[in-house]
Formats: sequence, structure tokens, C-alpha cells
Amino acid sequence: MIRFVLARLVQSLVALAILTVVVFVLARATGDPLQLILPMSASEEDYANARQYLGLDRPYVEQYFSFVGRALTGDFGNSLRARRPVVELIRDRLPNSLKLAAFAMTASLLMAFPLGVIAAVHKGTAIDRAAQVIAVLGQSLPTFWVAIVLIEVVAGRLQWLPAAGIDGFASYVLPGFTLGWFVVAGMMRLLRSSMLEVLDTEYVKLARVKGVVERRVVWLHELKNALITVVTFAGIYFSILVTTAIVVETVFAWPGLGRLAYEAITSRDFPVIQAVVLTTAAIVALVNLSVDCLYAFIDPRIRYAG
Amino acid sequence: MTIYLAIVAALLSITLVVGPVAAQGKPELTVALSSFSTEVLDPVLGGHIVKYYLSLMFDYLVGTTPDGLPSKDGGLATRWEPSQDHRRWTFHLRKGVKFHTGEEVTSEDVKWSLQRAIGKRSTTGYAGPLRTLIQDIETPAPDRVVIVTKEPTLIIPTYLSRSLSTEGMVLPKKYIEANGDDVFARKPVGSGPYRFVEQVTGSHIKLTAVDSHWRIGAPKYKTVTFKLVPEETTRIALLRRGEVDIADVSRDRVAELEREGFPIHMRKEEAILTMWWILPRDGMPTKDRRVREALNLAVDRGELAQSIFAGKADPAFIPMGLSWSYRDFGFKLTPEMQYPYDPARAKKLLAEAGYGGGFSMDVYAYQLPGLPEGKAFAEAMTGYWQKIGVQTKLIPVDYPAFRKNWFDRKTPGAMGYYNIANRDWIGTYALIEKMAYSKSKASDVVNDPEIDGMLEQVLRQTDKDKIGVLMRNVYTRLRSEHYGVPVVYLHSPYAASKTLGKWNIGTVMYDFFIDELASSK
Repeated sequence: MIRFVLARLVQSLVALAILTVVVFVLARATGDPLQLILPMSASEEDYANARQYLGLDRPYVEQYFSFVGRALTGDFGNSLRARRPVVELIRDRLPNSLKLAAFAMTASLLMAFPLGVIAAVHKGTAIDRAAQVIAVLGQSLPTFWVAIVLIEVVAGRLQWLPAAGIDGFASYVLPGFTLGWFVVAGMMRLLRSSMLEVLDTEYVKLARVKGVVERRVVWLHELKNALITVVTFAGIYFSILVTTAIVVETVFAWPGLGRLAYEAITSRDFPVIQAVVLTTAAIVALVNLSVDCLYAFIDPRIRYAG
Repeated sequence: MTIYLAIVAALLSITLVVGPVAAQGKPELTVALSSFSTEVLDPVLGGHIVKYYLSLMFDYLVGTTPDGLPSKDGGLATRWEPSQDHRRWTFHLRKGVKFHTGEEVTSEDVKWSLQRAIGKRSTTGYAGPLRTLIQDIETPAPDRVVIVTKEPTLIIPTYLSRSLSTEGMVLPKKYIEANGDDVFARKPVGSGPYRFVEQVTGSHIKLTAVDSHWRIGAPKYKTVTFKLVPEETTRIALLRRGEVDIADVSRDRVAELEREGFPIHMRKEEAILTMWWILPRDGMPTKDRRVREALNLAVDRGELAQSIFAGKADPAFIPMGLSWSYRDFGFKLTPEMQYPYDPARAKKLLAEAGYGGGFSMDVYAYQLPGLPEGKAFAEAMTGYWQKIGVQTKLIPVDYPAFRKNWFDRKTPGAMGYYNIANRDWIGTYALIEKMAYSKSKASDVVNDPEIDGMLEQVLRQTDKDKIGVLMRNVYTRLRSEHYGVPVVYLHSPYAASKTLGKWNIGTVMYDFFIDELASSK
């Protein structure tokens, strides 16, 4: 087991190392940040001063090794746009993204579980079809459209919930739902198919023969066994929620990591782009590693093969 | 299942108890904006684009009225005068003004702030010209500062005023020296009517009022919060819920909001939307004056103003014609200067120039802050030019990519555009000096020796009337030679809550004069 975990850890570190090169090159390929920082009236002298002050006049190789060397100590340099240490910006934003993702995950699991179970139990009925429609909509409706409709109707017209920002628990509902609907759809379908697999198993039939109440058969015996796949996928879904919330965070003015990435990309803020990409990659790597370990723990065949 | 139902019920109950926030009689003012620009709090790191919130925290050496006129009541200097040779400018400071730390503002702070503003670290708009111009700064008394220049000049008071950038903001020398630049950049201290409370990057900047301030008396709003809300639907929802008092909105949402009873404060002619060709012109069809005129005549500016800009724009006819400067220069737009929409004459001019069969021209298309219509506008322009036989190719990019091509001159003859913020005469001169003076090199889009000569005379001139004559001639030449395609003046709408009251949003670039709104004077 330890060898398996170490092997996965090394793979993750290699992936992150390759990513440092990719993100360093791609961030610079998008253009010169001074074109955005300095006003149109800036002189060539202003450009030279700013370039020198921000360390952009050094050779790329030197900039890269400086970036990697400092990143290893947890220092990602200063934001070119906000002129603050990048670590501070990430420290401000990451918890907001994690909290929103946690809310979205919880809400989506609360919706996906009953929908998935009921759809499986009532396979082929109107209830099943209704659940399938919810799933299809969740996976096909563009997130920005869902967000705008919810803001326009629920927040703006009906005035039931806050439209933007972080201000108490209620402010999580609309962005959380928007972010989580995709997960509801995925989890519900996953749970439905897992449930259908266990519906015909011997131990379920035995439970029924023994006279166990139907509700107990479904919600305890069947669901418990169907959950294994769902729980392992939940981790991956959570990392997706944290790392892909750019649209939701922008529309709901949510100061999270996604917004930070968007702002950094549009302003060519290299240090922030590099730090956000590495942070999100580290989150994904960590979650994948945890899921791999969980799988290995559950299924010895994976452990030995790895 | 029971637990599940309980959790869902709890979530639903939250949605029902949270109602709209009451907007009536709030002691807070909240402004929702689509962009905060760089979000910096240190004036030397931001420049004019962050003036709207910094001008609440800091005082300028020279004040400006919302209408852009120098004001002895709005700045730290109560009066100023030049020496006979216009090389020494003496500023007399207001007595008893204190920073938020309690320290009195003195001439040493003014000197130190200006030195910092023109230092190498500065990224403000006019640090370069001031650095070149200023020879020395003297402080003969705590309430008197003298700025000595290398050349005779008229520009010093305006460059250090609220009408331009942030170089004129006065900062606390002792506080910054004791705490360092980084602390100051996180917890700025000024002497303005509002002091800094907190900044959450990407979210908001919150300020709180001082008890009383010489500029505005006891501020009407205890706190002022600037919220960053990129999505317009969200800003409007916040306005409807009474959670914000002011929000920038797009031109095409104005009619809807007016129908709902929200007052719209319009910044008339906030920017001129103008197009130009990347230099050099050698070998390009646009080297011929007739081609440039034809491309101007092919555009129906009135139609564009109505269709693309929802009627919240007016036709423009002078390349780089920043209309807020017309008053100072005494420039008047004559009927002959107005381009008619005349595609037939445009075709004739092209034929005369030897391009009857048209020619190909690249047009870059991009969005800009304050110009969400950017790409639609570029598409419309290419449509007009195609009608007179010009084979236009639309190239979608983002603005920095265009700006790089423009400065590097890699794609001569290709067109780009910008919504240039309107400004007063000094600001206009500074802009034209960048875009129409061949010695500015990269950013020049004109390259005309006659205009170069006039601009060089402006630089040396200390008689404002003579400057007016020269600048009128510059405008006339820009128009008569068709150095670019001026399209429309853009009006920028700001929607306000129904309880906001009177607000003179002013005509100073990148400033909304929120302090005037908070004034109890």
C-alpha cells in the first residue's frame, strides 16, 4: 500500500513539475502585461522603468528558475496588477471557493440521492423520466445562462435571495445551486445505474424474502452498496467544483479562485496565473491521489496491480 | 429520509426569511462597478483609472470642480502663482489640514509625494513628463511649496490637479517612511473625507467617513463601499434589491431602467470612439488623403449611434477630438467639418485615388472597458466599408494584442480603435502629444511634420491664448487631413437608486465626484 501511495505521489509531483514549464510559457505567450498596466500616455522610459521594477527585463530562463525556486518555498512573487504578494491573494480567495464548492456539493448530494434512488426504484415510470430530465438539463444548460436567469428572477424580481457577494448563508444558495446542478445530474445518473445493478443481487432478494420492509431494503441495503462508486466520484466532483467555478464566481461576484484566475488572465498577471494554475493542479492531484488511495483501500486488486 | 427532509426545509426557510434590503435613509453608500481596474490603493501604482475611489481618501494639491475647472476650494492649495518666467510655481497650502493619522499636512509632504509620484516605481499616467520637466521642489515654509521647472510651463497646476491623474495626491511622508510602501499599499492613509477600512480584492473596497472635512463638511454617508460586480444583470438585480445605490450600466439597458423609475445619470461625451490606421502609411492605400476621406464618408454615424449605441451617443467628426477641451481651446465645430454619410462620393474618391476596385484592409475587433459594444461596432464599420468596395477582414483579438501590433507597427494599414476618455486641455494635449506627435514614436498614428511643429510650439508656450490658437490649428489639420475615423461620442450611463438624490457626476475623466454627493455643505 505504501509503495502504491508513493508511486502515485511521485507521478503527481512530476505532473506538477511539467505544469510549471507549461504555465510559465503559455502565460507569457499571451502578451505583455505592461500594455494593460501602463496608460496610453506612458513613455518608453516608463515602460523600461516598470519592466525593471517588476523584474520582467530579466531573461526568461532566469525568470523561470526564480519562479520555481520561490514557489518551492511558498512564495509566488507579487501580483503585477494588484501589486500584492500572490500568496495573500490566494489565501483570501481559496477559502471562498472551497466554501462555495462545499455548499454546492452538499446541496447537490441532497438532491441527487433521493432523485437517483427514486428513479432507480421507479425505473421506466414518469418519476424516472422526470429525474432524467433534471439530469439532462443540469448537464446541458449553460451555467452562465442558469446563473443569469436565477439572478434576474429569484434575486432581482422576486427578491427572495441575495444576487451577489458573500453575505451570510443565504448568499450561498443561488451560486451553490448553479454550480451544483451539473453535479446533481451526474451523481443522480451514477446513483441510478449503481442502484439498478444492485436491485437484482441475491442479498437484496434475500432481504425481501426475509420480509424486510421495502423502504429499509431500498434506503439501507441497496443504497449502501450503490454508494461505493458515488462516494469515490464525489471527491473528483468536489475538485471540479473548486477549480472550474470561473463563470459562477464572475456572474455572482463571488471573490473566489476562479474570479482571481479570470482577472489574472485578462490582465496578463503572470505570477497570479502561475500560482492559480499550480494551486488548482495541486488540489486536483491531491484529490485524485486520495481517490486512488480510497480505491486501493477498497479493492485489493488495484493495490497489488499498482 | 426524515433528516434529509429537515435539511431541505431548513434551506428553504432561509430563502423565505431573506427579503430585500431596505434602501430608504441608509447611512451607507454602495457603488457597484463592472471593473475596479488595477484595485491598487497606492496612488503611484494606479494612475487616473483608480481616481474614483482614491480621490475620497486623498486630497489633491490643486482642486477641481466636477465640471473640470481648477478650484481653490477643492484642493490643498488655496492659491498658486507662477514667476514671471513661468519656471517657478508657488503653491500656498491650506492650514490645519490633517492626515487620518492626526499629523498635519505640510509642504514637506507635498514635496515628498511629488518626488515619489515621479519616481521610477511610479506607473501613473504623467510621471514621465513631470520627471522630465521638474528641476527642483523647494519648501520655504510649512505652508508653501515651490516647484521649479527646467522649461517655462503652464501645465504644473493642472498636472497636479484632480482633473488629470494621481500625481497631485498628497501622501503622509512620516507614515510611509515609518511603515514602508507595502504597508501603505495595504492600509493607505490620506487626508481626504473618507478613510480606508478594508479591501477584499475582487470583491470590495470599504471606506468610512471622517467626522468633518474641509472639502465637504460632515459627510452624509458614514460608509462608502465600492463593490466589484462584473456581470451587468447582477448589478441591476442589486440595484432593484436596494443593495446598491449606484451602478454602471450599459447603454442598451437604460430605457428599461428608466421605465422602472431608476434615475439615470449620464456622463455626456465621456469618451470619443475613434479609429486609426497603424503606421507607416508608405505603400498603403491610406497614404492617399482621398482614401482616408472616403473611409470617413462611408460611415453613417447617426445610424451607428442609434443602432449600436442605443441612441446614447452622438456623431464625432474630429480625430482625437476630445470635446471637453474645446471650451479651453475656443474650438468650434463648424458644419463643414461634419462628415455626411455619402457612400457615392466615397466610391468616387476611391476611384480618383486609383482604388476603384477597392483594396483590402484588416480591422481589429475587441471589447474595451466602457465599450461592451466593441465587436458589434467593428463589424458594423466593416459593413460600411464593404459597401464602397473595400475588402475588410475582421480580426478578433483582445486589446493588448492589438496594442502590441500598433506599437510594433507590424501590420501597417490595419485599423484599431479606442474609446478615449474625454479630458480637459492639458489632458488633451498630453493625449495628442502621444498619438499625433511623430517623436512619440510607437504610439503615433499621424506622422505629420506640420502637426509636429505646432505641438512643439505648444510645449514651449506659456500664453494660454496662443496655446488655444495652436491647438485649434492642430484639430483643424487632423480633420482636414482625415487622420483617422472619428465615429461617435459615447455617453456613459450610471443608474442610481430612487432615493439617491441630486448628483453632479461631472466631466472629469475617471472621477465620479462621490464626495460631492456626500457633501453636507
